[in-house]
Formats: sequence, structure tokens, C-alpha cells
Amino acid sequence: MTNMLSVTGLTAGYGRVTVLHGIGIEAGKHGNVGLFGPNGHGKTTLLRAVSGLLKPKAGSIVFDGADITGESARSIVARGLVHVPQGNTLFPDLTIADCMSLGAFSPHARPHEAANKERVAALFPKLAERWRQRVRTLSGGERQMVSIGVALMSHPKLLILDEPTLGLAPKIKDELCKAVLDISKAGVPLIVVEQDVEFLLELTNHLYFINHGQVETEIKPGDSLAHSDIMAMYFGQ
Amino acid sequence: MSVIETSAPTVSAPPRAPGRTPWMTELAGALVGLLVLALLPLVVGDAYGRHVLIMVFIYAVVASNWDLSLGYGGVFNFGHLALFGIGVYAYSLLTKLAMFDPWVALVASGVIAVVAAVVVTIPILRLKGIYIILVTFGFAQLVMQVILSQSDYTGGTQGIVRIPGLYWFDHNMVRDAKFAYFYIALAMLALSTLFLRVFVRSRTGKSVVALRDNEEYAVSRGVSLVRQRMITLAASAFFTGIAGAFYAAYQRNASVEVFGMSLATIVLSMVLLGGTGTIYGAIIASFVLTVFAESMADFGAWRPMITAVLIIVVMLVYPGGIVGMLKALWGLATRRRA
Amino acid sequence: MNALADILFGGLFQGSLYAMMAVGLALVWTTIGVFNFSHGVLMMLGAYFAWQLVDWGLAPALAFPIAVLLMAGVGWLLQATVVRPLIGRANLVLVVVITTLAAGSLIENGVLELWGPRSKQIPPLVAGNAMLGGVGVSLHQIAIIVVTPIILLALWLFLNRTRLGLALRAVAQNEDAACLVGLNVTMLYGLAFAIAASLAALAGIFLGGYRFMTPVMGADPLLKALIVVVFGGISSISGPIFAAYLIGFFEAICSYYFGLYWTPALLFAALILTLMIKPEGIFASRSRGLA
Repeated sequence: MTNMLSVTGLTAGYGRVTVLHGIGIEAGKHGNVGLFGPNGHGKTTLLRAVSGLLKPKAGSIVFDGADITGESARSIVARGLVHVPQGNTLFPDLTIADCMSLGAFSPHARPHEAANKERVAALFPKLAERWRQRVRTLSGGERQMVSIGVALMSHPKLLILDEPTLGLAPKIKDELCKAVLDISKAGVPLIVVEQDVEFLLELTNHLYFINHGQVETEIKPGDSLAHSDIMAMYFGQ
Repeated sequence: MSVIETSAPTVSAPPRAPGRTPWMTELAGALVGLLVLALLPLVVGDAYGRHVLIMVFIYAVVASNWDLSLGYGGVFNFGHLALFGIGVYAYSLLTKLAMFDPWVALVASGVIAVVAAVVVTIPILRLKGIYIILVTFGFAQLVMQVILSQSDYTGGTQGIVRIPGLYWFDHNMVRDAKFAYFYIALAMLALSTLFLRVFVRSRTGKSVVALRDNEEYAVSRGVSLVRQRMITLAASAFFTGIAGAFYAAYQRNASVEVFGMSLATIVLSMVLLGGTGTIYGAIIASFVLTVFAESMADFGAWRPMITAVLIIVVMLVYPGGIVGMLKALWGLATRRRA
Repeated sequence: MNALADILFGGLFQGSLYAMMAVGLALVWTTIGVFNFSHGVLMMLGAYFAWQLVDWGLAPALAFPIAVLLMAGVGWLLQATVVRPLIGRANLVLVVVITTLAAGSLIENGVLELWGPRSKQIPPLVAGNAMLGGVGVSLHQIAIIVVTPIILLALWLFLNRTRLGLALRAVAQNEDAACLVGLNVTMLYGLAFAIAASLAALAGIFLGGYRFMTPVMGADPLLKALIVVVFGGISSISGPIFAAYLIGFFEAICSYYFGLYWTPALLFAALILTLMIKPEGIFASRSRGLA
């Protein structure tokens, strides 16, 4: 398996503040990728740079063989790189049905709209029940499901999830975990950022510990790193 | 969170909040500025030049008071100019019809403007953002309509003429090339600025800013939204009303033009150009814009067009306004030295 | 019977005018989330474009649509210069009020320079008069009453039944999410303003057909449009539309019984009263949250 996504030497930030200092990760060769680390150290910034919401100051991003550094979010989505952002404010006044239609807006996603809608309804039966409800009336967990559902409608070749379980109750987390696993099994590679290391270890086996805007440790599958070591890394720093 | 390199602090004075000048420094700076302005009539001897400066002072008062409710209070009172207009008409009616002493009428106009501000606060007590803009806009139009409709008293579209001017003992107010009016206007500006700055630095002022920056938090800490909003708007009204009264006394006539959009646009530009939430910014911007406009007096319709372009450019490029620009430059200068 | 016909007709006519004036303002607010204070000026400019085209010899049936299209371009240009660059700023709504106000002043004075202050008129949509239920009306007014609901319906269908309209509605609610779903936000902003400007142009053409046009004719319609939008609730397009007709009838009734003199004051008083009781407007179901 070749690399779906290759980030090299990426420097990015906001205004005069540099958050990422020449960071590099690779996704695809070793299965799903997980990113973890203390808050505010660049994980979300990295994802925003990859998905085109933030223009990097230096470095390169290669997706599926093409250099996408500096491309607009719109064209990156059209290539199949789909980012589910942190938080789930989404579109408060739109219905779930609207959101799903919106997800299939990109020209490459439109032919698969009907099929993807069925997939989403099957994956998240709770949403199927509330199809005509407005997003603002949904619970946090349901909104997160909508976020992921919308991403699926965009027909992703690579799916990026930023803190999908943030603020959710354990039961909902399990539901989400199961759904995301199903998505992964259906053949969509994932990059997941998570605080919940358990969740991360369920879904991914190629991990990056990000600290101070750089990769401090890379854990490939097969690396003999005990679970407790990972926890120590996360909490000990 | 940030990865900005910070140099180790040097030993000495307690750390100052960035941008917070201690009040003694500010007072010193303000007094110097006041002195410079007070000496201007020695340099500017002709009546026209002094007239321009008097207009600058009037605009500066109105604009800086608008900055109080807008920049500090975070409440976009689109009817602020209506308070000015109320001051104009209050003074005119009090002196012409009720035969009040001009100085008494001047202060009374300020009070009337405050009452009007309190009245307008009532409908917007709990409204947010855009609604405040729309209601206060409506209020301004309503006041204008009322004044127009009561033409028996207010002269309607013709306005009021031969309004009694201010007096200073036996001084001849008419033939001194606007000398006396200059100093009265300057005194008004000084008092207004003093009032505003004291208000801003007071506990009330700080709670107002707290409300602006994070309403929910401030309310949860016991700051009364309703009361503070009313206080801020009332505070911003007093000297605005007085400025209106002074305008009527100085020009000796009043018209509903003061309620028009063009004046509101000009004054609002002064607030924004200067940088909201600074008070002094609005004053500086009043100078800049008025002098700028006067220098273009012959350009006809091009003058408002160029002013409009200027406003747009400043808003696009320098959201912090003039003061923001100065702060940035100062920051650059001091950082280089360090 | 005469009074009823008079009020009915007057209400429908004023309502249609107000609806046409307000809907463009409401559109920009519900999609982009800003208030365009040059809206009145855009109405005026549309009327002036139409006048110039007719003056050059074009038939009104051709001149009017061309003017509307030109104004669509102006709307696009306007948002590209004084709105789009400001997206992301902290007090966006406020700053846009200023920049659109300034842009409006710029255009107004430009029109003053180019066309002079003397009033003009453009041909009505349909020339001639008729008697309707004992009331003398102009065909122009009837045309407006008929055309307006058609256009409004088309707009509503576009926004709520097409994918592009859905995209427009999404963009104001969450721009980042819109980008991540592949929407072309730049194009959508331009589209919203272009449509709004076209609607303004139509309103201007309606007005110019029976009233004298001057460069400052946009101030009053802007005010009326603001009132309608606030009244109707700024969370949707349909609210202001209903409010427009309601206000139109209110005005017709007031004018008939109290005369034109007091009507504006009564209207304002009613407006302020409404806002005190229901700040989101009469027809709004929920406050938008963009305020």
C-alpha cells in the first residue's frame, strides 16, 4: 500500500504565530493514522492546512500522487480528501436531509449521492429517524453523526476526523466508534485526531504523538510499544 | 498555547498590561495636547481658520462620545446623531421660546439629551446587535419626523433662525474673529474628554467593557446588562447634547439637516477612522477628516466621493483606525529598541 | 365600497413595492449575514441605468432587463470590494454597515456628477390607466401587483428547492463547514449580492415608473426596507415578505383615515412596540443567532 497522504516539512500558523514547525506525517501505508498530543500544539492546525482551510508558509502536502499544497478547500474536497472539523456547529438551521444533499455538492460526489445516502442511513439509524429535523435541535452526539454523514456524502478517498468524540457520553462514543470502524472496513482510510487514546487505538495502528508543533514520536504497527507507554507519553509530558 | 519566543523579563517595575497607560502619563499627555490647542489661535488668526477648528472640536465631542457607546459599550447607537440634533433643537427652543439664559439652556440641553437616551434605551434593553442598530436608526428618523411635523415650533424644513448665542461677560462675541467661541468650544472638548476618560477608567466603565467583551460571563458575575447599557448611553448623551446646543448657539440657526445620513456618516467615519474604543482616536480623526474635507471644499461632489473611498480603504486596511496604526508604529519603534 | 377598494388596492400596491424593496436586503442578511446599507442607492442606480438605456433609444422591454443584469454585476463588484475582504473580522456586521454606507455615498455622488440633480422619469411597466372597483388606478400599479408575487415565488423556490439555493443558505451559517463540503464560497457571496442588487434594481424601476427619480431617492426606500425586514423577522425571506404586505395595508388604512401626515410616525411607533414585545420580528419563529 502506498501513501495516500504525505506531509513534509510543513510550517504553518496564524498571522505572526507559527504553530507547525516543519512537521511531517505519512498516512496510508500502515493503515489508519491517529494523531494525539496535548491541546494547542498543532493537531487541528495540521488538519486545517491539509484540508485547505489554512495556507501553509512552507513545506509540501501530497495527496494521492498530486501536490495539493496551497490548493483551495474546494478543490481538495473534489479530490476526495474530506475533513470533518472539530466541534459540530455545522449548519444549525438546515435539516439533516439538507446537510446530506449539501455533502454531495462536489461534482465527483454527485453521481454517488443516492448510494451514499443509503449508507449514511444504515450507519446511523438515529439520523434516519430524524431526517427532516433541523440540526440545531439535535443532541451533540447526533450532530457529530451528521458531521460524519455529511463527510461520507462527499465520497471521500481519505477521511479526516478531528476529535469526533469530544464532549460525548461513553455510550455515544461506542456507537460512533462502531460506525467509524464500519466506514474504515468499507475501505476508506482514516486519519483521526483524538483525546481519547482508547478510541484511537481501536481505530488506528499508526500513531503520531504531536508536541509543540512537531512529531515527537511515531509509532508504527509492529513497534513494541506498550499501551501504558503511550498513556505515559500523553499524560507525562 | 502559543510558541512565540518571549525574552526573559528584566528586573524592575511591575508588569504593565499591554496597552494600558497609567493615568498620570495619560493626563500629562492630554494636558500637553490641550496646551497646544489652546495656543492655536495665536497661530491661526483668521476667522475662517478658527471656524474650522471650532467645527473640529464640535465633531470631536460628538464622535468621541459615540465611541463611548459604540467602542466601549459595544452598542451601535445609530441614533447618536439624533441626540446631537435634540441638543440643537432643545437649545434653540429653550432660548427662543422659553427665554432661558443661553448658558442654562446649554446645560439643560445636555440633560434633555440624556433623558432622550434613557428613553431610547428602553426598547433596546435586551436586544442584540443588529436589532439595536435598526431600532436606534428608527428612533433617529422618528425624532426627525416629530421635529418636522411640529413646524409651528420648530420651523419644519425651514428650521429656526436668529437663535441667541452664548455670551462671556461683556466680551463682544461677534467681532472677535471667533476668539471667544474657540475657547468655549475647546473647554467643552476638554471637559467632555475628561468626563469620558474618567468614566472609562472607573469601575462602571470597566464593567461596561466586560459586558461588551463577554456578555454572558459578565452577567453571570452580577453585572446588570440593562443598567449598564442605560448608563453608557446616558453618559454618551450628555456632552453630545451640549455639543448640539453649542452648535446652535454658534451657528445661530438650526435645521433638520443634522438628522441626515450624511452627517451621521461623517461622524461615524471619525469614530471608526480613529479606532473604536480609544476616545482619543475619534478626536484625532475629527481633526484629520475635517481638515481633509475643508482642503477639498472646491471639489464639489468629488469631496464626499473621495471621503467615501478613504473610509473604505481605511476599514479594509487598518481596522484599528488611526490609533491602531499609531500603536502599531509605536510597537515597531519600541521593539526595535529592545 | 369605495373605501375598501381604495385600501385594498393601496395596500396591495404598497405591499408589493415594500416586498420588492425589502427582499434583497433580507436575502443578503440571511445568506451572508450582513446588512447592506447601500441597498437604497442600488435601487436608485438601477432606475438610472434603465433611464439611460431608454434615453439612448432602447425599448423599455429591452432596457429594463439589461439594467437589471447590469446591476447584478454591480452587486457582485460591491461585495467583492467592500464585503468579502472583511469576512472573518470580529465586528463584521458593523464594519460592513460602514463600508456599504460609504460605498452608497460614493455611488450616490457619482450619479449626481454624471446625471445631475434634476429629476427624471422612466416609462412605466405598462402605460395607461383603468378603473377598478370604482378606484382609478394605473396599469403600472397593476403590473407591479401582478409581477411582484411571481418574482418572489421564483426567489423562494430558488432558495428552498434548488441545490444552489441550499448552498447559499449554508454559507452564512458556517463558512468553514461550507468550504469543507466543497462549496465555492466566493462565488456564492457574489451570487447573493448579485441577486439582491437585481431585485433592488427592479424595485428602483418600479419606483421610477411613477415617481420622479433623483440621486437621493434611495434613502427613503432603504429606511422602509429596514423597517420591513425588522418587522418581518430577519431569520428568513418569507417573514419580511409577509410583513411588507402587512405594512402596506397598515399604511393604506392609516393614510385613508389619518392622512399621510401621521402615518410614518405611527409606523415607527408600531415598529418599536413590536421590537419590545417580540425582538425577532412578528413573523420570525426563532432569532437567527447571527445578530
